[in-house]
Amino acid sequence: MWSFIVRRSLIMIPMMILVSVICFGIIELQPGDFVSQYLDNPRISPEQIRLLRERLGLDKPAYVRYGMWVKNIVTKWDFGYSFAYERPVGELIWERTGWTVFIALATIIFQWILAVPMGIYSALHPYSPADYAMTVVGFIGISIPDFFFALILMYFMLKMGSTSIGGLFSTEFIGAPWSFAKVVDLLKHFWMPLVVVGVSGLAGLMRVMRGNMLDIIGSPFITSLRAHGLDEKTVRRHAIKNALNPMVSIAGAEVPNVFSGTIITAIVLNLPTMGPFFYNALLNHDQYLVMSFLMFIALITQIGNLLADIALAFLDPRIRMS
Amino acid sequence: MRRLWLAALLCVLLAAPAMAAPFVEGEDLTPSSKPVRGGTLYLALTASPQSFLFYGSLDNNAYTVIGQTMTGLVELHPVTNAIRPGLAESWETSPDGKEVTFHLRDVKWSDGVQLTADDVIFTFENFIMNKVAKGNSVDRFTILDTTDGQKKAVKWVKIDNRTVKAVLPSPFGPFYMNLSAAYIYPKHKLESKIDKNRLDSVNELWLTNVSPKDIVANGPYRIASYVMDQKVVLERNPNYWRIDRFGNQLPYFDKLEYLIVKDAEVRLAKFIAGEIDYMAVSAADFPTLKQKELAGGQFTIFKAQPTQPTPSPVHISFNYDVANEQLKELFRNTDFRRAMEFLLDRDRIIDEIYNGLAIPGAGLVLPANKGFYNSKIERIMRPHDPAKAKAILDKLGLKDKNADGIREFANGKNVEFTLTVQSAPQDYQDIALVFKEDLEKAGIRVNLQILDSTLVGNMFGAGNFEAGIRAFGNQPDLELRKAIWQPGTQLYYWHYSALDRSKLQAITANMFDWEKRVYELFDQGSITTDPAKRKAIYDEVQEIYHDVVPVIFVCKGMNLSGASKSLGNVTQDKEGIVYFASYTAFRK
Repeated sequence: MWSFIVRRSLIMIPMMILVSVICFGIIELQPGDFVSQYLDNPRISPEQIRLLRERLGLDKPAYVRYGMWVKNIVTKWDFGYSFAYERPVGELIWERTGWTVFIALATIIFQWILAVPMGIYSALHPYSPADYAMTVVGFIGISIPDFFFALILMYFMLKMGSTSIGGLFSTEFIGAPWSFAKVVDLLKHFWMPLVVVGVSGLAGLMRVMRGNMLDIIGSPFITSLRAHGLDEKTVRRHAIKNALNPMVSIAGAEVPNVFSGTIITAIVLNLPTMGPFFYNALLNHDQYLVMSFLMFIALITQIGNLLADIALAFLDPRIRMS
Repeated sequence: MRRLWLAALLCVLLAAPAMAAPFVEGEDLTPSSKPVRGGTLYLALTASPQSFLFYGSLDNNAYTVIGQTMTGLVELHPVTNAIRPGLAESWETSPDGKEVTFHLRDVKWSDGVQLTADDVIFTFENFIMNKVAKGNSVDRFTILDTTDGQKKAVKWVKIDNRTVKAVLPSPFGPFYMNLSAAYIYPKHKLESKIDKNRLDSVNELWLTNVSPKDIVANGPYRIASYVMDQKVVLERNPNYWRIDRFGNQLPYFDKLEYLIVKDAEVRLAKFIAGEIDYMAVSAADFPTLKQKELAGGQFTIFKAQPTQPTPSPVHISFNYDVANEQLKELFRNTDFRRAMEFLLDRDRIIDEIYNGLAIPGAGLVLPANKGFYNSKIERIMRPHDPAKAKAILDKLGLKDKNADGIREFANGKNVEFTLTVQSAPQDYQDIALVFKEDLEKAGIRVNLQILDSTLVGNMFGAGNFEAGIRAFGNQPDLELRKAIWQPGTQLYYWHYSALDRSKLQAITANMFDWEKRVYELFDQGSITTDPAKRKAIYDEVQEIYHDVVPVIFVCKGMNLSGASKSLGNVTQDKEGIVYFASYTAFRK
């Protein structure tokens, strides 16, 4: 077990290096750099442009900048400087991690709480009206783009006379110390991102659960359990336990998606998460911020997969750590 | 409007008489006789400010916030852009126009420390004239000395604690205009934080992670708190020096909150829901919002004469230095460009693209700018007249000989060029499409090249394009846009052979006669201080621009804005200008 974890962690290192080189290369391919957006600002002279490039190190060749960036991470745990925010990148990403993780976890839990029972019910009552209904609802959820769904919801909120649109808090609670009223205000706002982001992943998870469950129910070992005279409740319990295994491996892949897959939705809903932040950084050519963000996502993906593998091994003794 | 501009310019340029402190805000911004104090004003920003130090950033959101907290020696009227006293309550100009003595108002910083001449000198030395400060203004305060032809910096001399003198190399007309963008920063707070060995350390001062307690103000508000990407909260500066007509200290609001909302739809939703009190609205949203207002919405939507230089008026340019020799000759031909203007259908563009919410005449100067606008250009501007355009093209020898609908050059090659335009904002693309359509009807083929804005910026900056659509701002004073409209400058991008790009010097030998004239006029405009003479100079510049059409001005969107009905002191005058200032508005 431990040797597996160590081996998998070691593989992450060359993977991260590879990802960083590819990402850096792709960012370099886009035309212009951070300073080029100032070119038609008449307030700034060509001399200033040159000095700004020098100050930001943009006058150096790409491989030098890449080398410096990596060296600073390894030696000083310094992820570079955000040109646009004028702040260290590490600090900026860390500030956003809290809400991002909170929303990501809440969404995943929300999806699971709904998807698993719905999938089970559908599998146990295949082709029933309820099964069809859930399928239809699920597919509508998956086919409407998140951000559009968010806009529609906001439109209805506005129609119904809501005075607080988007965001996680009403204006007066932003930056205010935590209190009971603030928690209540959060709950008033939080359902919207939860539903919007949650619903899109819901159908997928539900269909996977339904499919697994149908497979298992039809498998010989369930027939054998039934033949042994076990009551239907116990049979179902065994079936569910087995059907959950593939869901765990999906969870690993779902984690990075929740972190970065909802960029437009987060912009629309005005959420203080990493998505909009990443989007702006890309537009601004804020190179180190983009790089660090991508590395963060790559790392999360790998850790997510590792955790999913470990969890799977615990859940299913047939899976070996080799 | 006219009275404001002229009165302000006159009093500024001909040595202002001593004015009594404190500054009393005029009736234009405080029409209501029953203002209410207290409460919070909610406004919106489109992104987080990068810094709270004006000279350490090049970011419009930062400027918006800083503009509420900082003031210069002189100020622009928030609506009309006329110059008026700021931290200096009065000033005198020496008879030769080279020395200006400013008398500072008896003002305390928001932390109670007296503002002195030392702050002024500190600001100029460390920020404004610091070449490595990101948002420095070295260029604006380095002036040609007419006696020896050298460019020299304005010198600042402390006379006493409340008197400071500026020594100019030559009399300089736009000096006060430039000064209005020179906010004064506190020496007592910042001096110790500057690393003397590293001049660009000034760019790291007052970044957004600094405690608001360390940031002081001399404007109506001071920074109270900042929640990254969420909101910036300002609070009333207890030592603000401006009062209303009834003797009340301004601002009326206790707090001003800027909500940071990136998505335009969400900003709009927040405005409709009453979460945002005042904001600019887009032409696309105007009809819906106006309907909502008429249906009893809690806001007023204004359609105003443009007074602000942003968003910039759009223009079409032709590269005089294009590699293709035939096109080069054609683009340099004034008659050709005039024909192009005859083909530009401004009315259709304003109708279809701007919902009718734009004015056609906006070129170098806006009509609302009564100090400098030359209304004669309205008669010079060529209306949409394809017949006239075709006649000119025929006369130029560009005829369709093979009857394929496209005109040919004498050597049989089709008359066609690439029109480069950035993908956003959408109106640029739409204008390009309309223009292309009209040109093709007249037998000229246009290949549209729609690209990302950065790429387009780089291409124009390198002179690598055939024809293009861009937008540059006009400012209250043409001197501030000299770097664009004077031939042989860095942003005169359609004729780069008039500029030695390594030395950044104009090559007058490569200029057309009319360009030489414009070049001279801009130089004269800089050193002339008599407002009437300056107006005459810029009148001629405007006439040349509209007659010779180095670029073809398309139009400028109106200033559309919405204000909550609960706000007091928001009015629109009969000339169509909306008066709103954060420090004179109040909650009814």
